[in-house]
Amino acid sequence: MSVRAAEDLASGDHACAVPVSDEQLWELTAQFLSGGLRRNEKVVYFDDGTSERVLERLTEDRVPVAATLRSGQLQVVPADVTRGAFRSPVADVRALLHSYVDGSVAQGWSGFRMTGQMSYGADAPAGIPMTTYDAALDDVVRERRFAALCLYDHGHYSQDQIERMRAAHREELSAPAAYDDGLLRITQTGVTAVRLAGEADHSNRPVIHKLITDTLDRALRSADAPTDIELNLASLRFLDVAGAVALVHAAEEFPSSHRLVLGDVRPAVQRVLDRCGAPFATQLVVREARQPPTRLPEPADGPHGARERRLAAADPAPGPGPGGTGPHGAGPHGAGPHGAGRDDTPEDRSADVPDDGPRREPATEGAP
Amino acid sequence: MKVESRVPAHTRLRHAVEFHDGPADQLARAVAFARATVRRGEQLAVAVPPLVEKAVFDAVGHAGVVALTAPYGASGGSGQTTAASWARELRSLVQSDAGATVLCGHDPAHDGVDGGYWTELDAALNVSLADLPVELVCLYPAWPLHLEVLEGARANHPYVRAEGALTANPEHRCPLEVLRGRERAAPLVLGPPDVTYRYNSWQLHEVRRMVARLAPALGFDPVRSEDLVLAVNEIATNAVEHGAPQAEIQLWATAGGLVCEVHDTGELDEPLPGLTAPHPAEPRGRGVWIARQLCDLLHVWQDPGGTHVRLHATP
Repeated sequence: MSVRAAEDLASGDHACAVPVSDEQLWELTAQFLSGGLRRNEKVVYFDDGTSERVLERLTEDRVPVAATLRSGQLQVVPADVTRGAFRSPVADVRALLHSYVDGSVAQGWSGFRMTGQMSYGADAPAGIPMTTYDAALDDVVRERRFAALCLYDHGHYSQDQIERMRAAHREELSAPAAYDDGLLRITQTGVTAVRLAGEADHSNRPVIHKLITDTLDRALRSADAPTDIELNLASLRFLDVAGAVALVHAAEEFPSSHRLVLGDVRPAVQRVLDRCGAPFATQLVVREARQPPTRLPEPADGPHGARERRLAAADPAPGPGPGGTGPHGAGPHGAGPHGAGRDDTPEDRSADVPDDGPRREPATEGAP
Repeated sequence: MKVESRVPAHTRLRHAVEFHDGPADQLARAVAFARATVRRGEQLAVAVPPLVEKAVFDAVGHAGVVALTAPYGASGGSGQTTAASWARELRSLVQSDAGATVLCGHDPAHDGVDGGYWTELDAALNVSLADLPVELVCLYPAWPLHLEVLEGARANHPYVRAEGALTANPEHRCPLEVLRGRERAAPLVLGPPDVTYRYNSWQLHEVRRMVARLAPALGFDPVRSEDLVLAVNEIATNAVEHGAPQAEIQLWATAGGLVCEVHDTGELDEPLPGLTAPHPAEPRGRGVWIARQLCDLLHVWQDPGGTHVRLHATP
């Protein structure tokens, strides 16, 4: 067991993690995916009703979601394909994985990584235990040197299933939080920097006050610590009035040398803060979120939906391409594996990506 | 934050009652009062029965005179909601100006079952307008249909106006005393709610989820939906914070927006919560005040069963 973070997983790693809350599930997924984007790897998320929240979290983390979806570096595999894999023979899944990895490398990405919501397989819909699929995955990870993160969250897996899958993995990630009650998750991101995700209300009210005083304490005790106490609120979706009042009061009680800085604040949270006197607190700095995290490209609909969905699935149905031969022919179910196969040939891929923007650039911090 | 109230006593609310002999007398007094106010160059705001309002505007024109929002529907008369909304309107009116003179006229159409609307309205105005430089004169009938109206008028007004002069009213009592022990009227009973949910502190997020799910379907835009979620959250939080560990929320999805009631078995220490912005250093009480700003109706009442709040918001 190691204490590595999700973004540090590299080629040849196959780890599992058991998030304690939904917020941690989005956090781990986003960290793992963005780690791959930074390394210029092809990054694939196998969706099963969870991609919207994952993309939202990536946006909050300032990952250029729209650009990487457009370039094809980030791919969301639709739920029917994810589920289809667990109704297919293991050999087909192995072939599917081969084609994904080989295709990514052929396209010039530096590597390949995958994660997703795989809980459909936990009940063995084809009579094949999930551990068997996982063993196949492990083989391919070793052969082809890519990175896979298997997430077993309590919302989708039973305790029994979690323990079984845990035992099958060599490595488990643990990302301890300063606080996580299932509604609000707090993580330490620096000596004086903290990130809040989820909802802050009456049920977890004392936590925020304690968090700020503890962080301030740390800042005051170490001579070279920054004088700004930073709370990143990008993923804080709700803050009640008492919570807002607590933040304003805390800032007012700061020593004059220190400031409380609230970063990436969502509009709704900003309005509550405004109504609770935040504009009049001189030692409180409120920075708005750079872009509203709710405006996300949705794979299923929206003006760009059709194209992104096509990119995601890389549906080869009409037209030629190597879709019917080799490992692709043995594809488990539907369009997915063929799509991956199609990525083998650069010509086909360019047909799928109409815009000629920079495609091979590693993801950089901050969306355009 | 240390903020002292700097409103000198003489620029605060002066709230007087003037008695009249009947509708015709009320109209004549209102017109004379309006003429004198406008002649002095003062900002006038009126809240009087429709016929009186027309006569006032006919007499003095529209310059320098505004009509305050009519009380919330004849059916759902909520004096505290009217008082909160007038406070909002008058605050923006006096911000640019030296102050304002307000003429309020009793309208029997808003008496409801017992005239209690007026008692609650005047008591609530004493709270919500307390720190505004406003002179408020209320025209009340000397012989109203409901004795309650007369008793309320006598108890709520610190001044009596007669022959154009104000004298101190020896019968005046503070809002807390006026309303203590008096069961404030429950609003009209609605049909069975669309949603009923019992919750505790750890289930407030469920309450928010229900409202967030209902609001867009009722025509609330995303921003207003978020504000509505906040308003309901604050009322629901109050119930489990100050009331009992468990409370009940009921939701009605209507063509006219969302109606919500929160019931708890606790008691109020303050009969009319959230009518004034709490002192910035005061950590409590801000939630209800903000909820009042965000809703079209927020009515708090009490009975032996506990404390109840009805909230109505239109998209």
